[in-house]
Amino acid sequence: MSIKVQNEETQTDQPPTDSGADAPPKQVALAMDRLAQAARLIADIRLGGDRLLEALFMAAQPHQTSKPLHFFTKEDASMQQNLQELRSVGRQLEESGVLNESLLRWRSNCWGLHMPLVCPDGAVVAYAWKRQLAGQAGASAVDRTRLALKAFTDQKRRFFGDGLNGQSSESMSKRHCASGGEEEGEDEEEETLSDCKTLSDILKRLEKHFPNVKVFAYERLDWFRRASSLPNSSIETSVETFKEHGFHNSTKLRPGSQPAVAADRVAMIELLFPSVFRAVVSLHPAGSIEPDAVAFFSPDEGGSYIHARGFSVYHVFRHITEHAAIALHYFLGIRTETALYSLLRWVCSYEDLFSKVCSKCGRLLAMDRKSALLLPPVHRSFRLFSSTKVSSTQPKSSTNYQNLDSFGAYHIDCFSEKV
Amino acid sequence: MQYLSSQISVLDKMPLKWVLHWQPNPGTTVNSQILNEVSQCVESLNGVKDGRWKATLTLYKPMLKEQSLAAEFPRDFLGISFPDQPNKYYFIIRGQRLVLEADSTIQIIMEKLQSYKSRVTLNFEGVQYLLGDFQLRVGKVVPNNSESLRGIFMEVEYLPISSIEKSRPIMEEFIDIWQEAVSKRSLPGHFMQIEPNFAEYGLSDHYTSQHTAVQYATVMAQIATVQSVQAVRN
Repeated sequence: MSIKVQNEETQTDQPPTDSGADAPPKQVALAMDRLAQAARLIADIRLGGDRLLEALFMAAQPHQTSKPLHFFTKEDASMQQNLQELRSVGRQLEESGVLNESLLRWRSNCWGLHMPLVCPDGAVVAYAWKRQLAGQAGASAVDRTRLALKAFTDQKRRFFGDGLNGQSSESMSKRHCASGGEEEGEDEEEETLSDCKTLSDILKRLEKHFPNVKVFAYERLDWFRRASSLPNSSIETSVETFKEHGFHNSTKLRPGSQPAVAADRVAMIELLFPSVFRAVVSLHPAGSIEPDAVAFFSPDEGGSYIHARGFSVYHVFRHITEHAAIALHYFLGIRTETALYSLLRWVCSYEDLFSKVCSKCGRLLAMDRKSALLLPPVHRSFRLFSSTKVSSTQPKSSTNYQNLDSFGAYHIDCFSEKV
Repeated sequence: MQYLSSQISVLDKMPLKWVLHWQPNPGTTVNSQILNEVSQCVESLNGVKDGRWKATLTLYKPMLKEQSLAAEFPRDFLGISFPDQPNKYYFIIRGQRLVLEADSTIQIIMEKLQSYKSRVTLNFEGVQYLLGDFQLRVGKVVPNNSESLRGIFMEVEYLPISSIEKSRPIMEEFIDIWQEAVSKRSLPGHFMQIEPNFAEYGLSDHYTSQHTAVQYATVMAQIATVQSVQAVRN
């Protein structure tokens, strides 16, 4: 095998661009393209190497025709071609300042861009746009620090509430109200999704559709106090007593029967179906209608691990919680303003968790292959929720959502087979 | 006032438990080979051993000066203790649908009073298994002072919820799956479940140890019937 090293004239590729001719973004894009092209060529060369070895092996076998020789020649030619192309791409990249750190060239006319940089270990640092944030490997040290600070502040806000940052939560809830109002339109008579712009509306509507659910709202720290005192059926009884006697409790949001106090500090919503399950949804920021986590628990579980990011000790509720995380992201992805109502309604579809058979196999219990456990249908479809706003011509009895029966319940394996 | 009274009554939430016993086919007896096969069945459903377990059941007879009065006293007066309720002792009189939860020291009191004597004591002892959210106990029924196998029993519990009504469909389907698994082994008999009418005993929908005690008393009666039928045959 002959390898020509010197004196290659290659005119197969486009001529290298003049550094001043194209705008910096185009140059960056070109450089990225060339890097990708180089990577492909390198892959081809590796494959070619394998084929050459294969041809040699074939030639070494007895009773061969001229086939291996022919194969070898073909491969040799294509290898040569690839190597030539690689050299020319390499030259272009060098000239445009990618393979060496010739950033000085770009100071004057860079629009805040830098050419992608190939580090000695082979990693490609793509963009160093000053405005481009999180996740880009090319972010400079300054950007990374800024990102870390932002992430930390977000996390701090989640755990300590917006008491530290009262300003931002107010403006957030105002923003929600404003956006809800714009969409209201002529649908005065019928409840549409857009009417549910406050937490109180949402909870009221939910209770109407699901008479068996008990809904409570808490400030963040109040929730943790309650979680630690669970399970305690006397609390459930006493809450009913609250309803009867109209005791005022500043932390409980009871739409319809009590004024909605402290709504701008509500950070946790508890949905309880007695004897079936308890679900906890956290809102972020507090006072908004944006859910950010959800978890399911047994109604008899108690302890400080009962919160929206906690996990039940029971397998059935752990599996539902995992599925719920996917559903939550789906609802948030569709439309943030309606995500909470969609999520809560979907959570309520689990009220028949221990009685509804799987829509696929018709049984209640099935052995899940992965966990080797007998589980009821823990998956409920959530993709049915992509309904749009209802026009005012529709009769009041048919709501935006299909009725409960159409929410398929599936075992884990039955669900994945369906999909 | 209503608020206060409901604060005081705290229900202890327990998951629903069903107790089953082995019903041997007519003409056959229960033996330890069957118990082995049943244990293997549990493992075939991915059950994981979780320790041993033993409950003790005592049949009482009254200590009377005059034996003629014996007819006035119930014959099926049972006492049961469970290892998961070490401070409690349960009395059941099936004939009158009575169940009572007492402190475990009642046994000492009975002994001191010499009011009742133990006629026979049986141990329900076996292995506890975990099958995901299900807890199973499978074991043998043996008299306290002998190794002769009187019966085989099984407990099934669905841990996540404690309402009898809500866990019923799950339990029923589990039993179906279980019976199917057992029947594949072609054993001379099958598991039977006789659900007592808890309401007749004055018990509520929330499952408690008293419900368990009633079930064990029922199982005891069944095993005794089986034994007496076999005695007649022999």
